[in-house]
Amino acid sequence: MARQVGRLAARHMPAERAAIRKTLTRLTGADGSRLEELTTGVFTDFAMCFSDLVSTNRQPASRLTSSLASVEGVEHLVPLTSGLISLTAHVGNWELAGRLLAGRTGRPTHVVVAEEEVRDVERWVRRNGEGVRFVTRSRATVSVELVAALRRGEVVGVQGDRALGTRGDALLPFFGRPAPFPLGPFLLASAVGVPLVPAFCLLDSDHRYAVRVAEPLTVTRGEETDAARAWVAILENVVRQRPTQWFNFFDIWEPFGP
Amino acid sequence: MEPEKVLAELKGIMVERLKFDPRRMSELTCDTVLPKGMDGSLGLDSLDFIEMSIAIEERFGFVIDETQGLEPHFESLGALTEYITSRMDGR
Repeated sequence: MARQVGRLAARHMPAERAAIRKTLTRLTGADGSRLEELTTGVFTDFAMCFSDLVSTNRQPASRLTSSLASVEGVEHLVPLTSGLISLTAHVGNWELAGRLLAGRTGRPTHVVVAEEEVRDVERWVRRNGEGVRFVTRSRATVSVELVAALRRGEVVGVQGDRALGTRGDALLPFFGRPAPFPLGPFLLASAVGVPLVPAFCLLDSDHRYAVRVAEPLTVTRGEETDAARAWVAILENVVRQRPTQWFNFFDIWEPFGP
Repeated sequence: MEPEKVLAELKGIMVERLKFDPRRMSELTCDTVLPKGMDGSLGLDSLDFIEMSIAIEERFGFVIDETQGLEPHFESLGALTEYITSRMDGR
């Protein structure tokens, strides 16, 4: 049913469809019927992930593992006993990744999200509890809370793919062309002295999820842009493998217009 | 540490770490609002608050790790001065 909803959405959201086509052209080089197939695939995969997010959020964390096909790289978390930043992106089921990692680390996890425009939707997809707390980045002072959480050895989950249109963005190469990415996660990591752990939760063909945890990135003061560049390279590799799970329905290279 | 001394140290952080023009410091009072998006505020963004938190830890020698109620302390210079003074006093 979720896939059918996705196909319907693809037909009724022309602006988003056009942005996805443009993006997929750059990501994959596809055209013609293959490009159409991939474009519809973004909508259907998004519908699947969203549907799973709503349904799994109503289950206890212990039952989330039934949705998993595989987990790679979780051993990277073992030696990390201090605070850490879990870095993800709008790829696959990113919020499910946050819940799963919270369970793995056994530490309180603060997931930073944009203020949801549709509050009625928010209550379905973002449920505090079982070690996970969602914090909106609408207030500048929220970063003080994140510093304190990291000092306590807790986990902060952030998305590293959506520029804010502020001084905190950096232009970095993404699929061969500069795109703005947020530097905030890297500045927070270097200031507090904690690692960033890239993590993704990708939808597999059998409708289960593959969690991938990459090697932690360490950031030294003044070298935040280099760390962000390394992150974008990791992200690019994941998106190249799963282009229909790149859920940014706008032009990532020019998100604020030309 | 006296509140006046704390306020002076905070102004030093504004200049040295947040790169504010030193000439603006004489305008700042305890009523000065810090976060951007509020009337008459200094316009500090989330990156400024990260830098300020770390600078406060280094300058005043305590760790900011409270589990709740931190944000109101960073809404004005007066609130921040009071927070730092109380932490220094061990209250």
